[in-house]
Amino acid sequence: MNAEPIVQIRDLTKLYRHGEIDVTALDNVSLDISAGEFVALMGPSGSGKSTLLHIIAGVDRPTSGQCVVQGTDVAALNETQLAEWRNHHVGFVFQTFNLIPVLTAFENVELPLLLTSLSSRERRAHVEAALELVGLADRMRHLPRQLSGGQEQRVAIARSLVTDPTLLVADEPTGNLDAHSATEVLSLLQTLNRTAGKTVILVTHDPKAAAYAGRTLHLEKGELLNGHDDSRLHSA
Amino acid sequence: MTIPGFILRNALRNKRRLVLTLLSVTLSLFLFTMLQTALHEMTQPSQTEESSLRVIVRHKVSLGNALPTKYQSRIERVPGVRTCMKFTWFGGIYRDPKDFFPQFAVDADKLADIFSEAKVDPQENAAFIKDRAGCVVGIKTMDRFGWKLGDRITLKGTIWPCDPVLTIRGVYRGGIDETNLFFHHEYMDELCGKWGVCLNFWIRAHRAEDIPGLIKQIDETFANTDAETKTETERAFLLEFVSMIGNVKVLINSICSVIIFTLILVTASTMSMAIRERAREIAILKAVGYDGWQILGLILAESFGLALTGGFLGCFGAWFGATMLFQYVNIATVSNGMFIKLEVTPHIVVSGMLIAIVLGVVSCIVPAWSSVRMSVVTGLKELD
Repeated sequence: MNAEPIVQIRDLTKLYRHGEIDVTALDNVSLDISAGEFVALMGPSGSGKSTLLHIIAGVDRPTSGQCVVQGTDVAALNETQLAEWRNHHVGFVFQTFNLIPVLTAFENVELPLLLTSLSSRERRAHVEAALELVGLADRMRHLPRQLSGGQEQRVAIARSLVTDPTLLVADEPTGNLDAHSATEVLSLLQTLNRTAGKTVILVTHDPKAAAYAGRTLHLEKGELLNGHDDSRLHSA
Repeated sequence: MTIPGFILRNALRNKRRLVLTLLSVTLSLFLFTMLQTALHEMTQPSQTEESSLRVIVRHKVSLGNALPTKYQSRIERVPGVRTCMKFTWFGGIYRDPKDFFPQFAVDADKLADIFSEAKVDPQENAAFIKDRAGCVVGIKTMDRFGWKLGDRITLKGTIWPCDPVLTIRGVYRGGIDETNLFFHHEYMDELCGKWGVCLNFWIRAHRAEDIPGLIKQIDETFANTDAETKTETERAFLLEFVSMIGNVKVLINSICSVIIFTLILVTASTMSMAIRERAREIAILKAVGYDGWQILGLILAESFGLALTGGFLGCFGAWFGATMLFQYVNIATVSNGMFIKLEVTPHIVVSGMLIAIVLGVVSCIVPAWSSVRMSVVTGLKELD
């Protein structure tokens, strides 16, 4: 935990306006996440964990406060800069996989690379390496409907990895998976954290999933519960 | 995979919807092209070097009123007039009304000079001039009925009370209409009882510059007579026929506007559904680094592709269809003489393609812009 913080959050507040009423999603949250950490964000529905993840990943903006990721104040970037920043620095994994149904596993993984200046040959090498890493090198020509849920999620992880981001964010990545597939996906995230040095932020309801993280942060009603910092490491 | 490849995959994802939308764009633009072609044929008569020298004298009251044939000698004396020919629409029936073809009574010895673009063998023309009951027929009508020189045909008069029996003395080729039959005006006049009238006088001017003065002088010559004249160029004269039907231009352009407006609604609905169905995917694309403008580009390219493909198929389909139709079907016969030919001009094709381009933008701009403005979080919420 002594490494340089990759995420620095100070007094972060996020308000959503529903008609006349302001709903506080995050209330004065401050935290640091070090490079190479595997952090789980836990909390009940509506606690603000997904909102915090979205702000860290640059897909949402805080109402006030600061969120600096890898030295960049994310909230200060315009939409185009933010999109480019996400492409280079953040890998997303979602609960519902979200692969493009008309593209093969290979093409889905290649999608973020189409925005780069890499040649076709270089893109192919990157995609094959990413699919190899998630154990799906033999499924690269399959369409999403020809894959199991666990395989689809591993393709989504390969897509999040292919640009070699330092930060991987996963929002309930095992929510739609059976126990076996969930274990495979969490083990994969843990391996990426341990062997590839990726910083992983995982949002989950499931304590078993959180157990794979090095640190667990609890949120409730938009507030970070102080002192509730599980530093257990899952030894699978 | 490339970006164009990705756009193509997206376009092809719902093949049934793609085919139906493509068909609606293709058929609408086909219809637009054909209607504009018909309008062009009616409102923009072909102009040749010869036709630009022709002037028509008719009764000032209407096209249906006849003029005294005695006007001819006075017209011939007007400076700038090279030839003046009597010209009367006969409108007879050959065998059956469905065997329609245009028939005109003319001055036989002046026909070749007035319609110099229609070529007749000199010997045949001489035979036609010599035989008062002779006629000259366009090659298309000759072929249509399988006639040959020397054949005798009878026309039953419907406007004029006579049934001329004519001998085919010549065949003409060339000019914009190869379906006409010309016979001696004197012969018709004789059969009808020497009424001494004709519907028009067709004039060939010496030079185009003579025409304005010539028109003015002819009309002044017959001012304050029982049969005042209206003299006009061939082009203006032909356009008057169209105006007799009504405001065809407004009618056809209104139909075209409705077609295009409906097409935009149909395509906009399709694109809107296609984009809405992909809200989650658009959010994912944004999450992995695509910005709003890149998303807009992807959607516009897909919409453009669809509209341009439909436009290409519709406009060039119409061009091909009209060409084939003109080649194998006698347009003048089918349209009862309203159209001589159907030519899809480059200008009409370009108009059709421009409409396709506008369609590509207009049909998707609203839902596409909503997608550009939609935040990733909003898009992601749509999935759950």
